[in-house]
Amino acid sequence: MINHHPDENLLAEYSSGSLAWALSLSVCAHIQLCPHCRQKVSALNKIGGVILNTSAAETCAPNSFENLMQRIHQKTTTEKAAVEKTEGEQATKIAAAEGLNNAYSHDPLLNRLPKIIEKLLPINGKLKWQRVSSALKTARLTAGQNEYEVAFQRISSGGKIVEHDHRGLEITLVLQGSFSDEQGIYSRGDFLVRTPGEIHRPTATLNQDCLCLSVVAAPVKVTGFIGHFINPFLSIKPA
Amino acid sequence: MANIISAVPSGAREDTWSRLLERVGQERDENAFAQLFAHFAPLIKGFCLGNVNASFPADAADEIVQEVLFKVWQKAPSYDATKAAASTWIYTVMRNCRIDVMRRNKRTITDSGVIEIEDIWDEAADDQAYVYLQQASNEIIIQNAFKQLPTEQRVVLTQVYMQGKTHQQISTETGLPLGTVKSRVRIALKKMQVLIDVASKKRSDTTGDGQ
Repeated sequence: MINHHPDENLLAEYSSGSLAWALSLSVCAHIQLCPHCRQKVSALNKIGGVILNTSAAETCAPNSFENLMQRIHQKTTTEKAAVEKTEGEQATKIAAAEGLNNAYSHDPLLNRLPKIIEKLLPINGKLKWQRVSSALKTARLTAGQNEYEVAFQRISSGGKIVEHDHRGLEITLVLQGSFSDEQGIYSRGDFLVRTPGEIHRPTATLNQDCLCLSVVAAPVKVTGFIGHFINPFLSIKPA
Repeated sequence: MANIISAVPSGAREDTWSRLLERVGQERDENAFAQLFAHFAPLIKGFCLGNVNASFPADAADEIVQEVLFKVWQKAPSYDATKAAASTWIYTVMRNCRIDVMRRNKRTITDSGVIEIEDIWDEAADDQAYVYLQQASNEIIIQNAFKQLPTEQRVVLTQVYMQGKTHQQISTETGLPLGTVKSRVRIALKKMQVLIDVASKKRSDTTGDGQ
């Protein structure tokens, strides 16, 4: 049962396409797990359709349609070749995806990932886990942007994470297992937004490791060993 | 043709666009595409020009119309009229074009496969199928609800959707506190929900269908 969802504002920004790429990615992963929010987004998309429908109609440049059809016809003649090429690529992709599944299938935490998250897994099959503390490991993911740090956080069963602050907006999506903090218990699909100044101390539940996706606004870098040591979340680099 | 279309009741009209779009997708029907173009191209252009701060530059509006409708032609085979009305689907194609424009030059290298815009903003994400006319009348109900919103709320939704702005950008540009922008959007959405519920209930009372 998912109890924590992105709020209406975040969903509206997602539906209108203004939400930053990495944040949109986390919303997308949530809606792939949450039929409730998926339905909300489709209602929000309808508002977009309505606003398009009620726009003031503006006359288009003469020959717009003819020009477009010309472009389409040109495209169609080259399409056959493209289709064959795409089919080839598709086969390679499928093979690569199968290879990936094999590469990651030994790790039960990486099963049942939302589709969009599967796409984030490195294609070389090597997810680099870094040990942050005895309870926490983190693996950076590259998402094709540089505003947010996107990473897996893996808390071992029963593990406690040092109390930490948030220097920037942080979104956490639980992908597997569950964890709790002072405010509640969170399990698969739960979507949490933390803002700077919210200090918390998460603990994974006892029976299972917990995997989360985290998306964190790229922080101002703190240099020096101490900063690195005190707050593992500050050691991140956007990728 | 345009006269015939505008003469039929508005609920059925939306249905007409959806059927035309299906024909474009399934039969690659150029005549159907011409009709869709005649209707939607001016609306898309109007939508773009309504975006004064131009993530779509105003002078490029015609080019964007071309780009969006080119994508509509390309993607039409994946259109499913039971899942979305034509206007909603075309909106999502247009939105994805805008994201693409905004994202150019911003991409960075990944060690995963390429993540496409459609992976994050799937045009077919709605997994709930409606029957044709029901889908169409849903759109009409939403359209009426939108028209009934107080100006302030309609404006903020227009800024969000048409101008494609984040709440923060709207706040910065209008001078309204971020909290005010957020609550306006939330109230507008809630109000629309109420109007839609009332209208849907009315409809199910008259037609006897439960949805």
